[in-house]
Amino acid sequence: MNKMISSLVLILLSLLVITQTGATNHDIDGITIHNPWVRLAPSNAPVLGVFMEIHNNSNHDIRLLSANASGYKRLELHKTEYKNGMMKMTKQGFMPILAHDKLILKPGSWHIMMISPESASNEGEFVMVELIFDNGSSKTLRVKVKKEI
Amino acid sequence: MFKKIFIVVVMVVIVLSLYVNFNHNYKGLSKQLKASFMLYNPDKELSYFSLVDHNNNKFDNKNFKDKWTLLSFIYTHCPDVCPTGLMDMSILKSILIKRGASIVPNIVTITFDPIRDTPEVLKTYVTYFDKSFLGVSGNQSQINQLVQDFGAYYERVVYAKNGKSTVFKNDKPLPEWALVAGYLINHTAWIYLVGPNGQIFAGFPLPHNPLEMADDIELLTENY
Ligand SMILES: [Cu+2]
Repeated sequence: MNKMISSLVLILLSLLVITQTGATNHDIDGITIHNPWVRLAPSNAPVLGVFMEIHNNSNHDIRLLSANASGYKRLELHKTEYKNGMMKMTKQGFMPILAHDKLILKPGSWHIMMISPESASNEGEFVMVELIFDNGSSKTLRVKVKKEI
Repeated sequence: MFKKIFIVVVMVVIVLSLYVNFNHNYKGLSKQLKASFMLYNPDKELSYFSLVDHNNNKFDNKNFKDKWTLLSFIYTHCPDVCPTGLMDMSILKSILIKRGASIVPNIVTITFDPIRDTPEVLKTYVTYFDKSFLGVSGNQSQINQLVQDFGAYYERVVYAKNGKSTVFKNDKPLPEWALVAGYLINHTAWIYLVGPNGQIFAGFPLPHNPLEMADDIELLTENY
């Protein structure tokens, strides 16, 4: 009986988490995420880009420290820049989101790169992506795979 | 004797006037270009190369002859710039078709990274953007030669476990550990238009605006 109750509680809790993260706008810790998307890629693409807007509504600068998603070897924080006539994609230790400001992740700029997918992603599917910030908060997003914004 | 000299003089005059005319026309043309630069240089021919396309057929200088080609260099471990470039080219192609352009160039993309981008890999990757696109792989040093001829450039960046990065110039072979660790590639991202004479004709730097590129391609191919 106890077991049943605890598993019921667990299910309810996880439902709560899912419904919460399904919404793009929630503001417990001063961070809101807008329009997250995974760029649809060829079925054998060894890497996939994740893009979004990260808003910081707090009075403090916040850093995105890392990102996780199951089904990938690892996720890296990247920034593409045009330098010396070349497009350079460099790995970043963190992404800065300044107080009362936002960071835009988009093609040709900041992005999260998901490396070595276990299987191909199809258009309209969702990837659960966890973001970990330096203020102790983390967010799990349900990110839709699509062609372009 | 005089007749011979006369013929030679006439021929020289004809060739010269053709040459001047040609230069004159192309100068006028380059002023009208919106998204590209004329790169044609009759003194700088493309080196001989022999690569392999994504159907495992030979791809060499002959594949550029008697047709127009839009050429780019990519690598498939690129989530960002390269897919955007290929997407832009598929948009560009559909614009040209919709306009009823008399010439729609063949679209070919050569990998900077033949170690990872085999013909099989390229076939799945490149045809995702458009069924007609052709991916080309092959010998690294042949690709390097071609990259150099086109005035393109790339370098590979390997990250160690501690986050430190090492840059390997394109002519430097990668050590075994780098192949295991994986690497990123910094690269130029021009799209090139190759003429029916098999030579580089024009180039499109970033950012790529498919509408303006289509205008330039129509202008360039019609005035060739
Ligand atoms: Cu990246």
